[in-house]
Amino acid sequence: MKEKTSDKYDKVFMKSFKIKKDKLKKLKYNSISQWDSVGHMSMIGSLEEAFDITLEMDDIIDFSSYEFGKKILKKYKIKI
Amino acid sequence: MIDYVTKVIPGKMANGFKNFTNNEWFFPIHFPGHPNVPGALQLEALAQMLTVAITTLPGNKGRVTHAISHTVRFKREILPGEKLEIETKVLSWKRGLCKGLGKGTVAGQVACEAEMTITIPEILDKYIPKK
Repeated sequence: MKEKTSDKYDKVFMKSFKIKKDKLKKLKYNSISQWDSVGHMSMIGSLEEAFDITLEMDDIIDFSSYEFGKKILKKYKIKI
Repeated sequence: MIDYVTKVIPGKMANGFKNFTNNEWFFPIHFPGHPNVPGALQLEALAQMLTVAITTLPGNKGRVTHAISHTVRFKREILPGEKLEIETKVLSWKRGLCKGLGKGTVAGQVACEAEMTITIPEILDKYIPKK
């Protein structure tokens, strides 16, 4: 069975930052210690790998929250 | 912590060595009666060699690097007069962040191994959210 896109998206955050699903909705850059500059780059790398995309520099900078990230991925034809 | 770099493929790998001569500054204190190379300095040698693999990429010459996280295992003491052969491999290099492996051997025996993450902050900082 094919994995849901939203589950794949959630898993990237849960694995990158070692947090539970119920914490994702309010998750923002620097809101937890794991999402610092290095965590940001690791998470972006995992997203790119999971969805087989390459994010543009401006999108990486704008990717400042779990929710806003969904909007950014729409540009890459990924609906979550 | 490196004497010579013997082979580099920028962005991929770097190898070299460090000779630990009897007059190294740390031997008298680490430890009196049983001198051996401190683990922190072995790790530093591996990390510096990985840095070579990155700072030889076009545009990275002279850039400052920082360590982010290292996981290291020590398997053998290194004694005065021994030569540490250092091999490092870049696993990934993207947007100022490098993940890599390092291995130090003495007389064909593994002395230390490490998984390392290093960064060039000047590059990394360009990609982080500003708000």
